[in-house]
Amino acid sequence: MAQISVCPYCGTGCQIVVPEKDEPFSVSGYKGSPVNNGKLCIKGYTGLNYSFSKERLTYPLFNENGNFIRISWEDAIELAANKLLKIREEFGPDSVAFQSSAKCTNEENYLMQKMARVFGTNNIDHCARSCHSPTALGLINTLGTGAATGSIKSLEGTNTFFIIGSNTTEQHPIIGSKIISEVKKGKKLIVADPRKIKLAELADIHMQFRPGTDVALLNSLMFVIVKEKLYDKEFIDSRTEGFNELREEVIKYDPIITSEITGVEPELVYEAARTYATNRPSAIFYAMGITQHIHGTENVMNVSNLALITGNLGKYGSGIFPLRGQNNVQGSSDMGALAEFYPGYIRWDSDKIEKFAKLWNSTLPKKKGLTLSEMFDKAADGEIKAIYLMGENPLITEANIARVEEGIDNLEFFIVQDIFMTLTAAKADLVLPAASSLEKEGTFTNTERRIQRIFPIYKPPGEAKPDWWIINKIGSRMNLWKEYSGPEEIFNEIREAIYNYSGATYENIYPVGKQWPINKENPDGTEILHTRSFPLGKGKLVPIKFNPPSESVDGEYDLIMTTGRNYFHWHSGTMTRLSQILEREAPEPYIEINSEDAYERKIRNGQLVNVKSRHGEIRIRAKVTNLVPKGIVFIPFHYKESRVNLLVGENLDPISKIPEFKVVAVKVMP
Amino acid sequence: MIYSLNAEEMAQLYERISKEFETYGTVDIQGDITFSRIESYDELRIGRSDKPPKEFLIGRNENVLVFTEPNKKAVFGVMSCDLKGFYIMDKQIYGKDPFYTARRDNTVFINYVCTEPCETGFCSSFGGPLLNDYQIQVINYENDKYLIYADDAYKSFFEGFKQASKEEISKVEKLMHNFNMKQKKHEVEGIENRIKWNSKLWDEYAKICIQCGACNYSCPTCYCFDLNDVGEERFREWDSCILAGFTKTSAGNPRESLASRLRQRFYHKFVYYKKSKGEYLCTGCNRCTDDCPVDIEIKEVIDHDYNNE
Amino acid sequence: MTTIMNSFKPHEKRIARKIKETTDIFTIEIDMESNSYPGQFYELSILGIGEAPISAASSSSEKLKFTIRSIGHVTSKIFEQDVIGVRGPYGNYWPFKEYDRILAIAGGIGIPPIRALIHELEGKKDLWVIYGARTPSDLVYKYEFDQWRNKANLILTVDRGDESWNGKVGLVTKYIPEIPDLKNMAAFLIGPPIMMENSVKDLLKYGLQPENIFLSLERRMECGFGVCGHCNVGHFYVCEDGPIFRYSEVSNLPELFL
Repeated sequence: MAQISVCPYCGTGCQIVVPEKDEPFSVSGYKGSPVNNGKLCIKGYTGLNYSFSKERLTYPLFNENGNFIRISWEDAIELAANKLLKIREEFGPDSVAFQSSAKCTNEENYLMQKMARVFGTNNIDHCARSCHSPTALGLINTLGTGAATGSIKSLEGTNTFFIIGSNTTEQHPIIGSKIISEVKKGKKLIVADPRKIKLAELADIHMQFRPGTDVALLNSLMFVIVKEKLYDKEFIDSRTEGFNELREEVIKYDPIITSEITGVEPELVYEAARTYATNRPSAIFYAMGITQHIHGTENVMNVSNLALITGNLGKYGSGIFPLRGQNNVQGSSDMGALAEFYPGYIRWDSDKIEKFAKLWNSTLPKKKGLTLSEMFDKAADGEIKAIYLMGENPLITEANIARVEEGIDNLEFFIVQDIFMTLTAAKADLVLPAASSLEKEGTFTNTERRIQRIFPIYKPPGEAKPDWWIINKIGSRMNLWKEYSGPEEIFNEIREAIYNYSGATYENIYPVGKQWPINKENPDGTEILHTRSFPLGKGKLVPIKFNPPSESVDGEYDLIMTTGRNYFHWHSGTMTRLSQILEREAPEPYIEINSEDAYERKIRNGQLVNVKSRHGEIRIRAKVTNLVPKGIVFIPFHYKESRVNLLVGENLDPISKIPEFKVVAVKVMP
Repeated sequence: MIYSLNAEEMAQLYERISKEFETYGTVDIQGDITFSRIESYDELRIGRSDKPPKEFLIGRNENVLVFTEPNKKAVFGVMSCDLKGFYIMDKQIYGKDPFYTARRDNTVFINYVCTEPCETGFCSSFGGPLLNDYQIQVINYENDKYLIYADDAYKSFFEGFKQASKEEISKVEKLMHNFNMKQKKHEVEGIENRIKWNSKLWDEYAKICIQCGACNYSCPTCYCFDLNDVGEERFREWDSCILAGFTKTSAGNPRESLASRLRQRFYHKFVYYKKSKGEYLCTGCNRCTDDCPVDIEIKEVIDHDYNNE
Repeated sequence: MTTIMNSFKPHEKRIARKIKETTDIFTIEIDMESNSYPGQFYELSILGIGEAPISAASSSSEKLKFTIRSIGHVTSKIFEQDVIGVRGPYGNYWPFKEYDRILAIAGGIGIPPIRALIHELEGKKDLWVIYGARTPSDLVYKYEFDQWRNKANLILTVDRGDESWNGKVGLVTKYIPEIPDLKNMAAFLIGPPIMMENSVKDLLKYGLQPENIFLSLERRMECGFGVCGHCNVGHFYVCEDGPIFRYSEVSNLPELFL
């Protein structure tokens, strides 16, 4: 009989009804779900074929001088454990790094970070670094919790939607469609995006600002709010601190002045500020457009400033919604698969980690861990000797991939655990075949903090095993723990480790998940955060000064490139490019270029062009379109045949270490 | 032939059919009604299924290079609006698509006729839930009473069951009449003449449509599919005319704009099929609207005043 | 029990001969007799890559021939194959039996079904052919032109000439008026939509009857037999109602020349 599961693509976490394999049925949306009410996007409908692909990895593979040979699980586990232990013995625990995955379950992420820490290192990180690490750091700093403050359902109470740096209808289509449905009812919509995204067409106000000028734009909005006294004085007085300092900073950002920086007409800024501040409740939605900058964390804090001074937090329909990319990036971050955080966002250098020493019956590492890009960097330098990587494909998705490749090539031992032989897996010494999300048990946490269950509906192909099973085996072989009986036992340990998860049980999160915090005080979960106070007590207002992005145009590199995804593909394409329909819709890499820019460079639609940055060069087909404004080009990063991340430099946000994927100076040549 | 059965006899009927056919039916998955293999009549839950039973005849994803004779299947709990979809698409694909044809010939659909209008459907605008074309049609018109219209091909299953009386039949006819009176009517007749190529509706819909494909996938009459090679296999996969790739060729794309594709879907339903096959390619199930994340209403396309935009 | 023929399954056929026509166009001859009339098409396939609908270039009495521009993911690889999948023929054909005087106008890679027609008619009817290409090097079947001239009145034209070219220059429509007694002819058109649209306009102007003008349409014909639903133009499916349409029956379809 069919079972309920969760779509493995974006962070929306749509629940799906999945039939058993030999039944002639297909996936449909679960109508009882408060997340998607039975609706799905094209990826949900047609994108799950990958699970049945003949290209799936089916047994462990050992790379013997460039040839992969089949080995047994027994040997694979032995090899992995022995190698890691040997390298630890020789070079110390910090010579090994662990990379977890936001595509995997909470239990798997929890286990992976536990493995790293009990092994003796904080070198644990995952792709949240490249998407929402600024959110975790920024919002924890200002509010105390790095997560969406409301629920998807609560958008029915929103009066103004402010979208900044999120192509919602393409990347979180079901949330995007929810916004569309509300806007159809007459709600206000403000979009700040350099590109003319679909929501921009429906928007009351579209501010087409220059990439990397978010701080200036947000400050100018607050300038208007302060100048016209549109802020929520009562909320500021009772719930926040630091308003005077913030005011002093934002009054420098008269929209007339910032329009020089952002390119946005002052009138639009005035109108947007007034609408957002007065037509409440207002909710802000952002994604990689805010975070993937060298000012990513500051951008997030500035978003928080805007919401705080207008009192748009803690009320139904208001809030901040960092839209999570991967299906479980909220969960993998909650689980502490991040260099600076233990489970439940407890900082690595805080006293509170003692609780984990007890829970895990282990001493804990004293050194700060390396972040994702630092791991590859240190590998290239020879300090990192081994990486155990689960379910990621950094040779496509990381910035400065030439350096990543150098790092990988320099490793003594590289373990990759995946469902396919990805570009990255092909470089591994040991490849471990994993089960897909339709083949294993566990929980995912979606972008609204909802913990939802998945089930092993199909058998994994060949000898492929669930990730938790593999980590469990390797960990116990290294004597890091006594073997777990299964995901539920791990889940129950998570409930001990993270207070905000403590009230969740397998029973009460099925069939419909519950939103954390779920604990003694909130036994039924929490739909809206911060209704009475912030975990910090008062919300912190942090004045942010505008500084330019890492790259700017000059005589040679005269266009600004931003990178991102398209509607039909997912990240490195490992899954979606096996769906024939999705692949038909977006079969090859392209660069979106404005018609004026194309004309000046004598570039025709469909022509192959060279795109060169200060870091690299690729060849790619031009899509001449006015969806991008003059001066800006866009390239999606899904395609291994022209990896746009060869063009992206290693300019990191000093706080979160996220690379600036969104601002790269390039030149485009026919 | 029309029979009258009670609940116990319905279970017997199921037993008889299940001896000859692999049995499927609608089951309840945490409140969702969906099709599944069933082993006993008790598992059956009658209700509006989350999707039409199209997959019994047109594979969602199947290798068309290998044809195997299909098993004989019986599907219980099909809604009339869904069953009607097959009779409509028969006119285009029966006899031509070998898979569809063989499965159609080997599958018996037991449709359960709604006695109360559902929340959003508008089948009465297409004649109502009691169908003229059926295999075995069940009306649970009173608590323990079932009236069954059965095609003569299946009369062996009904041996020993009593035929329906005139009173019983007229009771059901009245019930159906009331059903059709209760449900709001939408003037479908003549839509092919009223609908306008340059209506503003298409642009309005294009602005909000997120191209999820739900209107196609959930439609009991949409039969289009794509063919794609994967290794040694050639897969048929359900397709969506809302996607640009549907008509794209190396020479270009005749329906480049989303508005033109949305228009095509409604024109196929209400103009083209009517012209080529004499029927609307719609049964009034309203699933396309129910499953549409941005609430594009097929009823609006029917009701819209094209002359006064 | 009747065995059902799987209409999706192609026959594997050997490519007997390959001719490179231009830089991106080639002709292949399949090791089987044509069983189609000029205008009909086949689905050609390479297992693992896919299928493509291609009009036959051969007459009913020749070996099956196709002339293909390598542009799509299938067509760009056919030339490299020794064996390909073939199924068909599909669709209707030029109504050459009904007319004694025929003007065929072909643009670009639309020429193969007209080549088939020339060979089918063998000079038995009053056949006029206007064949236009972008440049002289884009013309295919150059090696057969002399032979064609024995079977038809041939007008070759290019959009842009070069040093070697001393023939006609200009769009195909420029040469329509050269055909004698146009009014009573049937016209068979195949080529880019814009060429067909302009040709139709001119032909009507010169007095041809709309019911005597025939267009060969191209859409995404995937199955070939009216079940996959990709190739509709109005209420027609190009694969089963066409690909040849009588202009008077389709003239009011808004998507005709797309």
